[in-house]
Amino acid sequence: MACLTDAGIRYNPAMKKSASPKKSPKKNNRKGKGARKPWFWQLFLRVFFIGVVLLAGWMVYLDAVVTSRFEGRRFEVPSRVYARPLELYDGASVSSGALQRELELSGYRAGDGRKAGTYRRSGGHFEISTRGFLFTDGLEPRRRLSLNIYGDRVQEFRVLSGDPSPIVRLEPAQIGGIYPAHKEDRVLVQLDDVPDLFTDVLLAVEDRNFHDHHGVAPLSIARAMLANIRAGRIVQGGSTLTQQLVKNFFLTREQTLLRKGNEALMSVLLELHYEKDDILETYLNEVYLGQAGTRAIHGFGLASQFYFGESIRDIEAHQVALLVGMVKGPSYYNPRRHPERALSRRNLVIDVMAETGLIGEEQAARARAQPLGVTDRASYSENRYPAYIDLVRRHLARDYKQEDLQSEGLRIFTTLDPAIQYAAEFSVKDMLSRMEGSSDTVLESALVVTSRDSGEVLALVGGRDPQYAGFNRALDARRPIGSLIKPFIYLTALQQPERYNLITPVEDTGFSLVFDDGRRWEPKNYDGEERGLVPLHKALSHSYNFPAVRVGLDVGIDSVKSTLQSFGVTTGISEYPSMLLGSVAMTPVTVAQIYQGLATSGFNTPLRTIRQVTDAQGEALSRYRLKVDQVADPAAVHLVQYVMQETMQEGTGRSVYRTVPRELTLAGKTGTTDDGRDSWFAGFSGDLLAVSWVGRDDNGPTSLTGATGALPVWSRFMSQVPQHGFSPVVPDGVKYHWVNPAEGALTDEHCENARLVPFITGSEPEIEVSCGGNMERRIRGWFEGLFQ
Amino acid sequence: MNKHTFRYAGVMALALVVAGCASAPGGGSIYVPAGDSSSRDEAPEPPQTSESDGDEPRVERKSEQPEEPGREEEYSSPSYQDEGDALSPAARSLIKRADSLMAAGDTQAALAQLERAQRIAPRSAAVYFKLSEAYVAQDQLGSAEQFTLKGLSLAGSDSSLQRAGWLLLADIRRARGNVAGADQAEARAANL
Repeated sequence: MACLTDAGIRYNPAMKKSASPKKSPKKNNRKGKGARKPWFWQLFLRVFFIGVVLLAGWMVYLDAVVTSRFEGRRFEVPSRVYARPLELYDGASVSSGALQRELELSGYRAGDGRKAGTYRRSGGHFEISTRGFLFTDGLEPRRRLSLNIYGDRVQEFRVLSGDPSPIVRLEPAQIGGIYPAHKEDRVLVQLDDVPDLFTDVLLAVEDRNFHDHHGVAPLSIARAMLANIRAGRIVQGGSTLTQQLVKNFFLTREQTLLRKGNEALMSVLLELHYEKDDILETYLNEVYLGQAGTRAIHGFGLASQFYFGESIRDIEAHQVALLVGMVKGPSYYNPRRHPERALSRRNLVIDVMAETGLIGEEQAARARAQPLGVTDRASYSENRYPAYIDLVRRHLARDYKQEDLQSEGLRIFTTLDPAIQYAAEFSVKDMLSRMEGSSDTVLESALVVTSRDSGEVLALVGGRDPQYAGFNRALDARRPIGSLIKPFIYLTALQQPERYNLITPVEDTGFSLVFDDGRRWEPKNYDGEERGLVPLHKALSHSYNFPAVRVGLDVGIDSVKSTLQSFGVTTGISEYPSMLLGSVAMTPVTVAQIYQGLATSGFNTPLRTIRQVTDAQGEALSRYRLKVDQVADPAAVHLVQYVMQETMQEGTGRSVYRTVPRELTLAGKTGTTDDGRDSWFAGFSGDLLAVSWVGRDDNGPTSLTGATGALPVWSRFMSQVPQHGFSPVVPDGVKYHWVNPAEGALTDEHCENARLVPFITGSEPEIEVSCGGNMERRIRGWFEGLFQ
Repeated sequence: MNKHTFRYAGVMALALVVAGCASAPGGGSIYVPAGDSSSRDEAPEPPQTSESDGDEPRVERKSEQPEEPGREEEYSSPSYQDEGDALSPAARSLIKRADSLMAAGDTQAALAQLERAQRIAPRSAAVYFKLSEAYVAQDQLGSAEQFTLKGLSLAGSDSSLQRAGWLLLADIRRARGNVAGADQAEARAANL
């Protein structure tokens, strides 16, 4: 065998180098002996000569093909998109169910909790063995962790083995990829990453003489040809590993003699230029091992993750046998679809392993007794979060070229929180089908969830079917925001404490505006009522229209507009008075952006979906840092936050506490547009900000309001997520006073209509009333005079 | 000159983090697990579809405004607190890590650790002051000023945090050439 392949290698350089030496003798022959030779001999020589030249040219061409493909970028590696890594520490907010789902999403398997990549759960107790992960800011080494979950929080967190730390990040779950057009997916491995046993088994099964031959193994080919001739068709291949690589790498899949010839030539050329290890490593990364939807699974690195949820470094003998066995026919031996075929193929490979002495007979018996050990499904599905990935792609498009994203193996670390996303998707689906009930209106919805203080987008739902990658309402549905604008009107007013405080009486009576061109505009209250003078806080918490327009016109539409702009509206804002009732259209994501400033004491915090992008080696290419920018007086924002809490307790949002426990203090605002075309809710807790929208894609009317459409979705979501209540720190320059809002006066804490209300220092009322009101003020004054 | 003043501010801010550790937790946000209290021992798999379905099968079509005025019996006062949250041991360990990274000159890695700390302790003033310090080290004074303001918005009635924050702000403003703003901030610190 060895000498036969030696012949192969002599054959080739002879061909390459023969071009010139053979030329001259031939020419000499022609010149010297001329016409005396028989014509057929001349013809033969000519044909032979042309053949040699053509072959030489062809070889030069093939050589160029082989070297350029092999030298240059060998693989187009898709970019990987990761969820945020889960942080585990004492007090971390996570439920047992959410932790288990998170582990499964990150490809952990239920097991003994000792082997890397496994966990053991009993009730609320978890033992987890992490695989370790190299973040750009440092390595999270492998560790074995122990923790309990009690009341949706991590407690008694301990590192059982590995580098001790009070806080540990799990490996981030992969949630998607940006694939090249051919949809090949792979995780590149280096030969050093792969256990020796693996390569030994691979060579024992696929190419025993790999280290001795020079690209082709004529004996094997002869044997295969014989078998094929006997069978009358191609039943056997005598391909070396190199030939298999060449076939996958450079050629089409058709089985023709010409292609076989090219394959042999290219294999020889490849072996001439490159080391065996180079070829083997490339093979390990190239080989096709399965299909996940449109995504093709290439290379053992990805296959190991895809089938076992484990790194190729960690797989055991029976898993090695299965992966190697699958090379022969990845779909025929698909262990998920054809487990019995896969099992017998695997055991055949285990036999080979034992025969060749790679493992002992005892170990072989143990391996044969093992189940296939494949995970139920791939560790992540390609398109699990299309709406979220859509937003990530748009952010990436600002800084990266599509080609680079598809081929450079970039790693994109997003802010997606799978547990929050899960709750968000569920809430939309569940509440929409309930709301539709028997009616035949088809409702749609969007939900955006961000982290209140960091602006990280944690979850995004673009429609009621979260798997549908079509119209993304969270990003693209621009709808009038209705009463969601009101907090910005009152914020503008409250930034003038000399004119407005929370108990300033505002007029809830109708009026009409006549424009210069003669048109009239008559705003209406939702319920058609008029209430006369009401305190400002009540006008906002109950979302009365007349006072909002009156106050808005008083402070000026341009002031309201500039407040909105400073909070993050970049699109045009109409200056018609109807904007004061929310005729201005925004997408749910924009609403989330502007409410971020209301939720964080006036700090505009740009929304982010990406923390950083690294290259394939883990070097940071770009970082997207937390930014804050103070755009409003924290004192005035605090007053608006007070009223947004009041909205939830006694105003238009009060139905929330039918779903959510009262300890979870929340703040928010409803929004409804004409005929219930848009139902909005925007609000926040201590940890989260969420904006929900419900309406119809055709912009048709519904019988919904903000409180009956978007709020139930929002409440359902909030009720499922363990979190901190909203309880803002009282900013500088704000003091709480007991007041009687109807009287516009300070009062005593024990009075029936007393309310504890925040005031910007200096804007609190100067008069004081006792429980009974004005009549008793005089008496009180008299008493005070008496005793003071 | 800047270096000198910033050294002062840095020491102050660092000192306050230590002070934050020493003092008992001040304000604390209330943590509410998901679902009802019976689920606290062993959190069931969310989503909890059965939850509160009995008495509230769905929210009926209600007016966006209350049907009748004066349903005040359920009134509970909007929540507020006088101080931000104290740093958890986990957040403190990240800040320590950031400190040593800063000392080693790796501000980018320090920022990454501080952002981790911010995510798990977003209502703690000290985290933002540390972020401000890191941006000062990077000579990004605009960001530093904003993070100081954010920290101040959470300092509440904790006068040592207030003082450190205003002094840090004064230094940053002076370095940015905003002398009036710096004096104002210094005066605030002096008044505490």
